[in-house]
Amino acid sequence: MVEINNITIKKAHEGLKDKSFSSLELTEEIFKVAANSESVLHAHLVLMHDEAVKKAKETDSRIAKDGMIGELDGIPLSIKDNMNLKGYGTTCSSKILSNYISPYDATVVKRLRENGTIFVGKTNLDEFAMGSSTENSAYGPTKNPWDPDCVPGGSSGGSAAVVSVGSALGSLGSDTGGSIRQPASFCGVVGFKPTYGTVSRFGLIAFASSLDQIGPITKTSEDAKIIYNAISGYDSKDATSLNLKSASLPEDSSAKVGIVKELMGEGIADDVKSEVERVIKILEEEGHQVSEVSLPMTKMAISIYYLIAPAECSANLARFDGVRFGLRKDGNTSYEMSDKTRAEGFGDEVKRRILLGTYALSAGYYDAYYGQALKARNQVVNEFKEVFKSVDYLISPTTPSTAFKFGEKTTNPLEMYMSDLCTIPANLAGLPAISIPTGIDDNGMPFSIQLMSPELTDISLLNFSSYIEKIIAFDQVPSKWRKEP
Amino acid sequence: MKVYPTIGMETHVELKTESKMFCACKVEETESPNTNLCPTCLGLPGSLPVPNKKAIEMITLLGISLDCEITKNGMFHRKNYFYPDLPKNYQISQFDFPIGVNGKLQIVSENELSDIEIERVHMEEDTGKSIHAGGGRIDTAEYTLLDFNRSGIPLVEIVTKPVISNAKQAVSYIEELRQLVIDIDISHAKLELGNLRFDANISVASKDEKELGVKVEIKNMNSLKSLERAIDYEIERQGDLKEKNEKIVQETRHWDEKLEKTISMRTKEGSADYRYFSDPDIPNMNLTKDFIDSVVKNPPELPKDRRERYVASGLSLEEASHIVKSDKWVRELFEDMKINVENIRSAYLWVTGELLGQLRKLNIENKPEHLRGDNFGELISLVDEGEVSSSTGKEILSELIQRDFSPKDYAESNNLIQENSEEYINNLILKVLDSHHEIVERIKLGEDKLVGFLVGEVMKESSASLNPSLVRELIAKETK
Repeated sequence: MVEINNITIKKAHEGLKDKSFSSLELTEEIFKVAANSESVLHAHLVLMHDEAVKKAKETDSRIAKDGMIGELDGIPLSIKDNMNLKGYGTTCSSKILSNYISPYDATVVKRLRENGTIFVGKTNLDEFAMGSSTENSAYGPTKNPWDPDCVPGGSSGGSAAVVSVGSALGSLGSDTGGSIRQPASFCGVVGFKPTYGTVSRFGLIAFASSLDQIGPITKTSEDAKIIYNAISGYDSKDATSLNLKSASLPEDSSAKVGIVKELMGEGIADDVKSEVERVIKILEEEGHQVSEVSLPMTKMAISIYYLIAPAECSANLARFDGVRFGLRKDGNTSYEMSDKTRAEGFGDEVKRRILLGTYALSAGYYDAYYGQALKARNQVVNEFKEVFKSVDYLISPTTPSTAFKFGEKTTNPLEMYMSDLCTIPANLAGLPAISIPTGIDDNGMPFSIQLMSPELTDISLLNFSSYIEKIIAFDQVPSKWRKEP
Repeated sequence: MKVYPTIGMETHVELKTESKMFCACKVEETESPNTNLCPTCLGLPGSLPVPNKKAIEMITLLGISLDCEITKNGMFHRKNYFYPDLPKNYQISQFDFPIGVNGKLQIVSENELSDIEIERVHMEEDTGKSIHAGGGRIDTAEYTLLDFNRSGIPLVEIVTKPVISNAKQAVSYIEELRQLVIDIDISHAKLELGNLRFDANISVASKDEKELGVKVEIKNMNSLKSLERAIDYEIERQGDLKEKNEKIVQETRHWDEKLEKTISMRTKEGSADYRYFSDPDIPNMNLTKDFIDSVVKNPPELPKDRRERYVASGLSLEEASHIVKSDKWVRELFEDMKINVENIRSAYLWVTGELLGQLRKLNIENKPEHLRGDNFGELISLVDEGEVSSSTGKEILSELIQRDFSPKDYAESNNLIQENSEEYINNLILKVLDSHHEIVERIKLGEDKLVGFLVGEVMKESSASLNPSLVRELIAKETK
C-alpha cells in the first residue's frame, strides 16, 4: 500500500521506479485525499479523475515495458486554473470565463505532459490572480488546511493548499507580486518564483505581463527543482522568454547572506521577525557570513506595483468582451453587450484594478503615475544589482504575518495589498525568490522565510534553500486530512 | 472664396510576409471567413505575440527608402480602444519610437518634381473585418459579422507632414508610394484588395490666415479616383462653409462613392485617449547597424532613381514617370529593349504605344512570353534604320505577338526590306517622270500635292520595297 503521508515527488519517483507501488495506486491515493478534503477546503475547481486513471495505467504499462522512467513520470500534479489545459475550462476563477474551454495547452502544461505528469485537476485562485487570500474567487474561497478559518493566501491559494494537504504532490502557481510564495508560506509548503523569462508564459492568462511568472509549489526545494527543470527553458512562443545561460553561486556554508533591513522593520509582525532571526542565528552557527543590507526602494515597491500591475491588467483584460468567447450578456449594441458582460462577469477587485490602471495610463496622468512607476522600477532593479555585489542571497520574511482569518482584510484593500510587502520587490526586479516553511506560530500556523538571489541563479537558489531546509528540518504537515474517513 | 488647402496623408500598407505579424498564421487571401486563425490573432486568453522578423526587415527597408532616420530603439506599444473586430481590444502598434522618422518621398505631379516630407513610418497589426448588415455603421446595423482572417496581418503606416496642397498631388503621392513598395518588394500593393488604404486630413485657410484651419479626416479610401474626388469635394465644402462664415467641425468623414460626397462619421472632441504604453509582451528591438546593413545589402532601385536614369538617357520627365509607374513586365521589357535599341525614345514609344495598343485590342493583359528585348529590339532597329517602313514594322509586330521569330529574317524572306540605294530609286524616278511630263509641269507651277501621286507611281514600278520618304525627297529634288 502506498504511504503517501508527506511523500515528496522525489520519494514517489523512487517508489515507482523500484515498484514499491504502481502509478495507478499512487494516483488513486491522491484522489482519495482529494475526496476527503475537497468538501472542506475547496482547493480544486476541477478534478480530472478519469483521465488521470487512464494516464496512470499507461504509465504503469510503460514502466513494466522498459523500466526507465523520468522524474515526473506518473507524478500527480495540479495546475492553477489560469493556465490552459487543452479541452478543459480555464476559468481564472472568474464568471466571465465560466463556459470557456481552452483549445490549446500552455507551454508549461505541454512540457509537463511530455515529462509524463498526471494531472489531478485545476486549482482555485483569486479572480485573474488578483488577491492574496482566494477570497476573490467567483467560485468561493479555498480554506487553509492548517486551519479552515484561515485563508490559504493567494492568489495561488488552491495550488498551495493541494500540496499542503496532499491532494497533489506538487502544483503550478503563478506569481505576479507574491502569488506563489505568499500562499506557500501560509500553507507551510515551498513556493518558488523563477527568474522572469525562464518559464514560458504562453498559455498563462495574463494579469500583469511584465511581472507574471509561473513556478512550482512543492513539499521541498528539491521537488521544486524537478518541476522547474521540466518547465523552464526557451520558448519561441513567448517573446520575453530568455535564451540565456544560468549563473551559479555558492550553495553551502560559504554563501554570504544579506538580511533586508527594510523587510525586518515596520509592518512585519514580531513573531515573524523572531522566526527569521532564529533562522539567521542557525545560519551563523553554520558558519555563514550574514550581514544587514539596505534596499531603500523596497518601501516604494507596493506603490510601484499598484501602478504597473493594474495598468498592464487594464489592457490584458480588455479582450474579455463577450464577442468571441466566454460569458456574453446581450445588449442593444455591441458596446452595450460588452459593458453588460464585463459588469456582470468581473468581480469587484478586478474592476478596481482595471479602473486604477486605466486611470494611471490616461492622457495627462501617464507621466505622473505610470511613467514615474517605470522609472522607480528601474531604481529597484539597480538597487538589487548593487546589493548583490556584496552578498549571494537575501533573506527576509515571506509575509508580514502568518495566515490571517477570512474576512479580516476584505473590507480594506490597502491592508490586503500589504500582504505582498516582502514578495513584490522580486517581481519588480524579475529575480528568483523562494519561500520555505521553517516553523509553526502560537496558533499552529506555519512560518516561512524568503530567499532571493540574482537573476538566472535559480538552480543555485533551489540548491541553497534545499540545504537550509535540511538544517532547519521542519517537517510538520496538517495531517488530519490524510486519515481514512 | 479662394481657399488654400493643407493636406496630410496617412497610408496603411499591408506587407507581403509569409506569416502574420505576431503569429505563424499565413498571410493569404482566403475566401471563407474565420479559417486563417490561431489563439494569438484571435486574442484568446493566454496567447502571446512574437514579432515577425521579416516584417521588421521590410519596414526598415521602407524607412530607408523613404530617407527616414531609423530608430535604434524599436519598441511596440499597445493602443487601447474597444471595437469588436479588434480581438484584444488593443492594437499592437508603435508610438514614440516609430521605426522611421523625418523622411521624404519624391513625387511627380502635373509634370513637376517635388518632395513630400514624411513624418513617420511605423509598424502595426491589422484588425479583423466587420461586415455591417443593413446599415453602414456598427451602431445602425441590424447585425454585424466578424471575419478575423485579416487580424494580425502586418501593416505599415506612413504619415506625411501636412504639406500636400491639392488633390492631384495627393494622388501622385499615393501612386509614387505604391510604386515604391512594389519596387522594394514589400507589398502586393493591390488597391482593389485593400493592400493600400489611405486617410486624408484636410484643412483650408483663406489667403491671409497664417494658422492651419480645422482638420477634417476622410477615412479609409482605397481608390485613387475616390481620393481625388473626395479631396476636391472636401475643399469645396469647407470653402463654402468659410464663405458663409459657418463653423468647420473637427470630425471624421467618409467618402460615399454613390452620393459623390463626404459624409460625417463621428465628431472628434479633442483627441481620443488611446492610453498608449509599451507592450510588456514584446522586448525592445535593438536595430543594430549590422541589422540595417543586412537589410540594405542589395538595395533595389527606387522609382525616383529609375526615373532619373531614364531622363538622363533621353526620355522626358513625363515619359520617364510613365514607364516607372507601368506594370512590372512593361518596365522589364523596356529595360531589356534599352540594351538592344539605340534610341531610347523609340523603345519607349513602341512599348507604351504600339505594343500596348495592339495587346489591348487583342485583350491580352500580359506580355507574350516569347516577346523579348532581343526580337522586339531587332524590329525597332529595322524601322529606326529605315530598313522597313513603320507601317511594315507594325505589321511585323502583330506577327511577333503571335509567335517567336527574328524580325530581320522575316522581313528579308518576305521581301519587306526597303531598297534604299539612291541610284536605283533615281533610275525609277527618271523613268516615271518621263511618262508624266504634264504632272511634272504642274508640280513645278506649285501643285505640291501631286508629288504623292508620283511617289505612288515610283513604288509601283519597283520590284523591291522602297522607303517612301526617301522617294518623296528624291522626286522633290528632280521636280524643282
